[in-house]
Amino acid sequence: MAGSTALETEAAPLERAPAIGRVSDPRRASWLVLVVFLAPALVIYLGLTAYPAFRTIFDSLFTIEGSERSYVGLANYRDLLGDETFWIAVRNTFVWAFVAPILDVATGLLLALALYAGIPFSRFFRVAWFTPVLLSYVVVAILWMWIYNYDWGVVNEGLRAAGLDALTRSWLGDPNTALAALIVTHAWKWAGFNMVVCLAAIHALPSEVLEAAELDNCGWGAKLRYVIVPMLRPTLLNLYVLAFIGKMKVFDLVWIMTGGGPLWATETVSTYVYKRAFNWNTFDLGYPSAIATVWFGVVCAAVIVLNRVFKSRDRLEY
Amino acid sequence: MSADATLPPARGRGGFLASRTALAVVIAAYTAYTLGPFLWLATMSVRTTGEISADHYAWPRPFHWEQFRIAWVDSDFATYFWNSTIVVVAAVAAVTLVGAAAAHALARYRFRGNRIIYGILFSSIIFPPQITLISLYQILVDYGLYNSLLGLTLVYVSLQLPLTVYLLEGFFARIPQDLFDAAKMDGYGDIEIFRRIVLPIGMPAIATTLILNFIQLWNEFLFAVVLITDPDKRTLPIGIRAFMGDHFQDIGMIAAGVMISVVPVILAYVFFSEKLIRGMTAGAVK
Amino acid sequence: MAVVQLSRICKRYGSGGPVVVDNVDVTVGDGEFMVLLGPSGCGKSTTLRMIAGLETISSGTLSINGRTMNDVPAKDRDIAMVFQSYALYPHMTVAENLAFGLKRRRTPSAEVERRVREAAAMLGLIPYLDRKPQALSGGQRQRVALGRAMVREPMVFLFDEPLSNLDAALRVNTRNELIKQHHRLASTMIYVTHDQVEAMTMGTRICVMNGGRVAQVGKPLDVYWNPADTFVARFLGAPPMNLFTVPVSGGDRVRTAAIETALTRWSPAVLAPLAAGEVVLGVRAEDLHLSVEAAGAAAAGRIRGRVFAVEPLGAETLLAVETEGGTECTARLPRDTRARVGEVVDLFFRPDAAFLFDPRSTAAVPALSRPGGDPGRAGGVH
Repeated sequence: MAGSTALETEAAPLERAPAIGRVSDPRRASWLVLVVFLAPALVIYLGLTAYPAFRTIFDSLFTIEGSERSYVGLANYRDLLGDETFWIAVRNTFVWAFVAPILDVATGLLLALALYAGIPFSRFFRVAWFTPVLLSYVVVAILWMWIYNYDWGVVNEGLRAAGLDALTRSWLGDPNTALAALIVTHAWKWAGFNMVVCLAAIHALPSEVLEAAELDNCGWGAKLRYVIVPMLRPTLLNLYVLAFIGKMKVFDLVWIMTGGGPLWATETVSTYVYKRAFNWNTFDLGYPSAIATVWFGVVCAAVIVLNRVFKSRDRLEY
Repeated sequence: MSADATLPPARGRGGFLASRTALAVVIAAYTAYTLGPFLWLATMSVRTTGEISADHYAWPRPFHWEQFRIAWVDSDFATYFWNSTIVVVAAVAAVTLVGAAAAHALARYRFRGNRIIYGILFSSIIFPPQITLISLYQILVDYGLYNSLLGLTLVYVSLQLPLTVYLLEGFFARIPQDLFDAAKMDGYGDIEIFRRIVLPIGMPAIATTLILNFIQLWNEFLFAVVLITDPDKRTLPIGIRAFMGDHFQDIGMIAAGVMISVVPVILAYVFFSEKLIRGMTAGAVK
Repeated sequence: MAVVQLSRICKRYGSGGPVVVDNVDVTVGDGEFMVLLGPSGCGKSTTLRMIAGLETISSGTLSINGRTMNDVPAKDRDIAMVFQSYALYPHMTVAENLAFGLKRRRTPSAEVERRVREAAAMLGLIPYLDRKPQALSGGQRQRVALGRAMVREPMVFLFDEPLSNLDAALRVNTRNELIKQHHRLASTMIYVTHDQVEAMTMGTRICVMNGGRVAQVGKPLDVYWNPADTFVARFLGAPPMNLFTVPVSGGDRVRTAAIETALTRWSPAVLAPLAAGEVVLGVRAEDLHLSVEAAGAAAAGRIRGRVFAVEPLGAETLLAVETEGGTECTARLPRDTRARVGEVVDLFFRPDAAFLFDPRSTAAVPALSRPGGDPGRAGGVH
C-alpha cells in the first residue's frame, strides 16, 4: 500500500481484500443480503411512487385523451396561470393550510393541559376527545352534513331553540360560510391527535425542570407560560408543520361534503385536480398532471421553508 | 387546606370555585362536542328512517337491531366490509413484512447510500397524493389491475411504506448492536438474525405500525374512489359514499352502514389504544 | 485448549483513516488469563473484537493454535464472548438464551440439555431457567451471559468489560466467581478492562495498552514494580505514581528546593548520559511518609511541599501536597495522620523506592536492583 511504513509493507501480503474481510464485521452485509432486505421495498417504491410521480411530471407536458397523447410543451402551465378556478382553489387551500393548524394545535394543547392538570376521569376524557381521530373522512363528512342540515341539523335547531332564527342558514350551501364550516369539521377530527401528541410531549419534559419551577413558586399560569409552553415549542411547531401538510392535501372531506361548491367556495387544489382528471367533460389527463406537478413543488417547498424557519430558531437544550 | 394556603389572598375561595366550575363546564361542553355526534349517529343507526324523520333527536324506542341485518344483507354492506377486510389485511401484512425488512437493513448495516435510501423513502411522506394518483390510474389500467382488489392492495402497500419504514427504523436502530454481535458469533446468518432476533424483539413496534396502518387504510377514500368502479369491489368508505348517493334520504340505513364501518376501528382502538397512540405520536414529539 | 497469537495486528478505519490498533504483538498462552488493560480509546476493545471476528484485521496475523484466523468467520473460530451489556436476548428465557448458541451448531438436544443444566447448576441459575432476562438482577444477568459462553465449551473466552455494569459489592463477588471458573475450566481467557484492580487481581498476565499500542506485557506485580514507562507507572496504582521532572546533580543525586534524594538503584554508567539534562523521578504514594523513622532507616529522600488537601479515607489518609515548582504530589499515610491545609511538610522516602524515567521517551531508565518496596526483592531491609 502506498504510504505504508517499512514494517507494514512487510505485513502487506497478509492484508485482506475488503470483499473477504467484510464477512466478519456484523455492521456490514454482503450485497446479496442487502438486496434481499431492501429490494421489495425499493421495487414497490420505484414502481408505485417514484415512477408514477415522474410520469405525472412528464405527462404534464402532454394532452392525453384516452390512449392519444400529443406533446404541448408548457401549454398546460400557461393555461394554469390563467385558470381562475385554480387560483381560487390555491387561495382556499392556503387559507385552510395556514389558519386551521393554529386552531388544531391550540385546541390540542389546551385539552392536553386539562388532562395534565389532573382533572377527574381523565382516562375517559382522553378516549372521548380522541375518538374523532379514528373516524374516516367519509363518516365525519356524513355526520357533519347532518349537523349542518338546514331543516333538522343540530346547528340550526340550536339556533332556533335560542330564538336566533335569523342566523340559521344552509351552512354548506352558503358560499360565505361553507369553507369555515369545513374547517371546523376538519378541526373537530384532528384536535384529538394534537392532544395526545402534546400530552406525550408534556410527560416527556424533564420533571426536574417542572419541580424547579414549583420551587421557584410559580403558579399554574406562570408555569404554563414561562416553562411548559416554551419547552413544548419544538413539538408545537412540528405539529403545525404536520397539520399544514395534511391541509395541503385535503380532499376527502371537501369532496364528500360540498364537492368544492358552492361556486368554488370550498374548491381545494386536490378536489380540482380530481375533477379535471376524472370528473370533467374533457378527458384530458395532461392538464391535471400539470396542476399536480405545480402543487407537488409548492408543498415540498413550503415544508422545506417551514422547517428552515422553525429549526433555525429552535435549538432548545434541557 | 394546602390548596387554600397557596392561593393568592385576593382570590379567595369563591374565585377558586368559580374557575373550577368554569373549567368543568368547558370540559363537559367539549366532551359533548366530540362524543355527541357519535352518540347521535349510534341512536339513528337503530331507528328506522321513518322514525328519524319524525324526530331526529329521539331516543330509539324500540331498538331496531334488524337495521344492521338489512344493511349487511340487503344494502350490500357485507360485500363492502369483506372487500375492505381483504384489501386492508393483505396490504397491512405485506407492508409490515416489506417495511420491516427494509427498516432492519437501514437501521443495522453500514453501506454506501444507506441514508440516501432512507431519506428518499421517508421524504415521500409529504408528497401530495395527486402526484401519483393520475399516473397510478393509468399504470393500473395498462397492467389490467384497474378496478381490482389486487391493484388497490398494491397501491395501499406503497402508500403506507414510508411511515412503516420510518417507525420501524427508529425502533430497530435502538436494539443494541451487542445482540447482533453475539448472534453472529453463535453462527446465525443475516436472514436468521432478522427472523429470530429482530422480529421478536421488535414486536411492540411492529404491533404499533400494524394498528396504525390498519386504521389509516380502513379509512382510505381517495385512491379507492379513483381505482375502483365496480360496485362488487367497493370498499367500505366508497361503498357508504355510493349508498348515500343513491339513497340520500335513507338516514337510518346510512347510519347503520356507517356504524358497521366504524366498529372495527373502535375495537382496534379499545384493545390497542396505547400502541396506536404511541405510533401516532412517534413522529411528532420532539 | 488454545494459544492465541497476535502478530503485528493493526486496525485502521478506511485507507488513510486513523490507526486505532497499532502493531499489537502478543501471545496468549494456553490456559492463560490475559487482561488487556488501558484507558478508553486505547484500542483494547477493538483488539478483542478483532480476535472475536467482529472487526476486520487491517494488517497482521491472528492465529489460534497456529492456524491463521484472519479470514475465518466469527462463528467458526470456536470463541465465545461475554459482552459489557451482556447481550441477552430479551424475548428468550434464561434456558433459551443458554441454548441459543448450541442449537445453531446442531448439537444433539440431549447434549444441549445436559450442558445448559450443568452451566446453570455451576452458576446457581437453576431456579431462574424459565425467567426472561428483564426479571433478573444485574448479577444474575451477568451470570447468564457467562453461562452462555460456558455452554459453548469454546477454545477461547473473550470478556469485554463484563463487570462495569455491576455495583461495587457485586463486582468483587463476580470477580471471584470468574477467577474460580477460570481455575476450573483452565481455558484460555482474554479479558478487557479499564479497571486496574480487576487487572491486578484476575490476570495471570496483563497487557497494558495506550494509544493503540502495547505499552507493556507481564505478570501483574512485575508490571507494577517495573513499569516500562511513565504511562504504565501512573495507570497502575491508586493514587497514581508521583512524577517530578528534575535535574541530576553531582552525577548521582537529585537536589532541588522541593525534592532531594540519592539515586542508588542506577549505575553511574547509566546516569552519566542523563547528568547533563533532566530526568523524571517517580515515587509511589505509599512509599511516602511524614517522618524519617516511618520511612525506615535508609530513608534519605525528601519532598517538601504545602498541603492543599487532607482526605481521610478511614483506613488511611491521603495528603495532597504542592511543591515549590508547582508539581502536585499525593502521599498515602496512616489513618491517624494529622495535617492542616496550608502547612508545609516534608515527605520522606527510601531512595531505593524511587523510579527514574527518560523525559523524552518516557521509558524507564534500567536499574541495577528492583525497587525497595517490592516484597519479592532479595535481601530486603525491614
